This record gives sequence, structure tokens and C-alpha cells, in this order.
Amino acid sequence: MKSTQYSEKVLDHFRNPRNVGTLEGNDVAKGTVGNPVCGDLMEFYIRVKDNTIVDIKFKTFGCGSAIATASMITELAKGKTIDEALKITRKDVADELDGLPPIKMHCSNLAADALRAAITNYKVDTGKKSVELALSLAQQTPRVVFVTRARELSVTPELKKKIKQSDIKVLRESVLLEIKGLNQVEQVRIHDQNEDEEYDLFLDAVILLPPQY
Amino acid sequence: MAIYLDYQSAKPVDQRVVHAMLPYFDQKYGNPSALHAVGDVATDALELSRATVARFVGARADEVVFTSGATESNNAALIGFAMRSKHRGNHIIISEIEHISIHNIAKYLSRNGFLVTKVPVNQYGQVSPHKIEERITDKTILVSVMYANNEIGTIQPIAAIGRLCRERGIAFHTDAVAAEGLIPIDVKKDAIDLMTLSSNDLYGPKGVGVLYVGNGVRINPLIIGGGQEHGIRSGTENLHGIVGMAKAAEIMEQEMNGETERFRQFRDRLIKQVLETIPRSHLNGHPSERLVNNAHFRFDGIEGESLLLSLKDKGIAVSTGSACSSQTLSASHTLIALGLLHEEAHGSLQLTVGRFTHEHDIDAVVSVLPEVVKRLREMSPLYKEEA
Repeated sequence: MKSTQYSEKVLDHFRNPRNVGTLEGNDVAKGTVGNPVCGDLMEFYIRVKDNTIVDIKFKTFGCGSAIATASMITELAKGKTIDEALKITRKDVADELDGLPPIKMHCSNLAADALRAAITNYKVDTGKKSVELALSLAQQTPRVVFVTRARELSVTPELKKKIKQSDIKVLRESVLLEIKGLNQVEQVRIHDQNEDEEYDLFLDAVILLPPQY
Repeated sequence: MAIYLDYQSAKPVDQRVVHAMLPYFDQKYGNPSALHAVGDVATDALELSRATVARFVGARADEVVFTSGATESNNAALIGFAMRSKHRGNHIIISEIEHISIHNIAKYLSRNGFLVTKVPVNQYGQVSPHKIEERITDKTILVSVMYANNEIGTIQPIAAIGRLCRERGIAFHTDAVAAEGLIPIDVKKDAIDLMTLSSNDLYGPKGVGVLYVGNGVRINPLIIGGGQEHGIRSGTENLHGIVGMAKAAEIMEQEMNGETERFRQFRDRLIKQVLETIPRSHLNGHPSERLVNNAHFRFDGIEGESLLLSLKDKGIAVSTGSACSSQTLSASHTLIALGLLHEEAHGSLQLTVGRFTHEHDIDAVVSVLPEVVKRLREMSPLYKEEA
């Protein structure tokens, strides 16, 4: 098979690529993969609201299939939650495009990897922002609680150390069920998923990380 | 209508050639080895063809061996000569920008007891005879440097390399496929011992080629059989193909001067207009020592396959040295040998004109190319207007 024997769908996305460009803003994360030396470079930008990818753009230095796979994956990812988007595989992209020449399958890998890189960066960014917020609140008020479903916080070791040194209480593998209080947070009900028990907690501020953190 | 600017990769067979070939399918169908009258007609046609092709490159008829094409000729020249001369030495010199077939044959020989040295080229793709001289040892038996490069069109100092080899008693092979029909070739003047030609590059049929084997040069056959072609290349001759190649050479001999002047105008216009209208575009290869039909560019920040596909959508057929367009996904070794970065080699575009190119083909490509390059650059993370 010729390396450029593309399906009509690939050609359509090559001719009219969807979502080309860049995004800017506090709620935007960028993912870059590839290397111009080995041939391809791909950049993805995602804007996330309530855990959902509400906007997505790409730029690529690459061949026809690199352009088409990037374009296709932006369509697949838009409107999905970041966890759903993480599950998009290179096979999904290739299938949606009615197949790719075998030698070009790596291009769809590149697109999937670039999207994943953007999501990972988004998570790290969000984690970082939340921790920074918690740290600044902790300076003003003594009882700050951090709630995450994850077993570990996905933040840099440096930030983890800062949390440890602060008075912030971290509730891992926990879910906030209810906030109680008159015009301000006073008490919350927490579900500890590991122990599967519920309890109440008095506090001044609670910071929630999105479910996957 | 399709616009074809890829004459380097294939050429249409000239109608006059087709016409000359036709009787050899069903009328003059004899085997040149047969002794009867039907065979005699074939023998006459074969030897007349041999003489015609020989004259075209300044050779003697008995120095012309018909093969199945340039790849076979390259194999027969390098492997056939190396095997025949291995008692004298095992060292072979080639240039870094040889055709891929020469590179792969060299690789095969180096796995089979021969030592291959690759001579680098300068930024324009030219081999310096001095650099070849530096690499010659008392084991060197053969030097192979192409007449002109098939991608960037750079013409090599063939006569100087030929003289150098002749003085040292080293055989000199040149792959003249890219040059034939564009530069007058004289094997005697250039001191060439072995030379590869292809029929299609003269507007003859595919599947036919020639290996010129100079008087006194001995090679072992690769194809052994009934002893046709002086025993160097057995097998019943592809007579209709050979007649076609000879007709193509005959036409070329007459029309080359006028034709190449026309190509030069097309080429110069392409180079001038593309470099003028497209920012951050560059010419690859030599500014003056280049084939009259070859314009080879690179555009910063974009990739050649997507460029090729975009032009294909506009009905324009071109070539690129981009890795993405190759079966091995590696960038053109020729462009890398010029010292270009991989991402620079990626954005390359090769335009070659030929006998049936018209002014309006050039008009079309120079008018379409700027917008195509612009669109791809808008998608590229590497391209910044001010960079």
C-alpha cells in the first residue's frame, strides 16, 4: 500500500481540518508531543469547564495523516469529560477515519498522545492551582480541608511538602457529601471511601479537587 | 487537466517511439539468436539499435549492453565489476548522494567482503575530485559517482573524476540516468568506464536500460543463461523495448538542444517566481551547475507530503524528499547529505519539467503554490512570520 493511499475521510479532514489553531486563558492546557527531527510535531490546546472539554484546537507540522488524525481526535474529544477523552485510543481515531495506511498508524498515536499530554497538563495545573489556593487560605484561617478521591495528590513533590508543613488537613479517598452552615462553611459531611464511613467535620474552608485527583 | 511536473520520476513515452515499437510486437517478432530470416530481421534491428544508442553517448556499438533498466545496470556495474576485480582490491568509493540503488548495492557489497567509502558533498551537493583522491588507497578498484543528482539536479564534475580515476588505473562508473537527454554525454571525453542509462528518461518505454562497458573493462555477469549481450546479460532480448529506446535516443539527439533551452526558461521562471512570492523559501542544490529541468525548493515550517497532497488536490503532480512520503519514513539521504536538518528536508518540493510541459503548467504552479504553502503554515506550530 502506498503511504499516501488515504481514505476519503482522511482526505476530507486533511482538506478541511477541524479545530485548527490555539487557545488562551487560565482554563486552557497545552500538550506537545513529537519532534521535528523525527518528522512530526503536534500541539493540542484544551479548555476544560466542569471537567468537560468545551473547546479544543491543534497545530501540527506533519504529513496528511498527521493533520487528519489531529483533526479527527479534536472532534472525538470535544464535549467529552477529560476521563472519557483519556480513553480515546489510536485505534478509535484510525477507525473513525476508515483506516490509515499501516505505515501511517504512528500518526494517530501522535494525535492521541498529544491530547493525553494536554489533559495531563491540565490536571497538574488544576492540582497546582487548588493547592496554591489552599495554602493561601491556610494563612488566613486555621481549619482548611482538602478533599480528594485520589489516594495521592497529583502535584509536584515541592507542593506536597508545603502542604505537609502547613496546617491543611488532606482527606484522601474521600467525597464531600454536604456543606452545612449559615452563609458560610461551618461543617461538612464527608464519606471516606476507603473505610466506607461517613462523618461530620467542622472547618472554615474546604477545597475539592475534581474526581480524578 | 492534470499538470505533470514530475518528469524525474517518470516520463511519457513519445508517440514516435510507440510507433517505432509497434511492428516489433506482432510483425517483427523474431528472436535475434535465431538463424532464419525472421531471426535476421530481429538481429538487424537489435544491432541497429545498439549502434544508435552507442552514438548517442559517444560509445562504440560493442560497448553497449542492453538490460532491464537502470537498477539492473547499476547492479551489473558495481557487483559485476567488484566480483571480477576482487583479486586486485576490495575498496569502492561512492558519493553520499548516489541514487538509493547504488547505496543499497554498496551496502550489499560491504556485507560481502568489500569496503565502501562514501565521499561527502558540499552544501550544493557537489562532489570534489580532490576529496575522492584523498580517499583512494592501493586497494581501490572502483569509483561510482552519478552524472547529475536525481533529486536536487546538481551536476557533478564527471570529466575531472574520470581523468583522476584513469590516471590511477581505477575503474569509473557513473549513473547517468538523471543527466541523459539533458546534458550531452561523451563517454570517451569524460573517461567513463561503466555507465548506466535508462530508456524511460529519454521518453522511451520503461523496463529497458543500458550498461555501457568501455573497451577493456571486464565484469562478471549477474544473469547467466544463453550468452546474449556478449555473455554479460543473458536472456532473450526485449527487442520492442530496445527498438523503443534506440528511437528515443535518436529523437533526443536531434531535439535536445532546442528542448533543453525551453526547459531552462521554465526552470528559471519557476525558481525566480517561487523564491519571490513565498517568504522563507529556499532553493536546494547548485545555483548554476544544475539540470536545466530541475527546480528543488524547501519551505520553512511545513512538511512535504502535505504539500504534495495539497497540490494533488489542485491537479498538480510533484515530488518531495520528505520522510513522510517515503516507504521507510526516513528523510531523503541526498538532502541530509547537503547538511540540511531533518525538519528542513521535510519541507522539500521537487519540480521537474520535460518534453510536454507547457507555459500554462508553470503559470498554474506558481499561482497555486503560495496559497498552499500559506495554508499549511497556518496549521504549523513551527512557522512564525517573523522568525
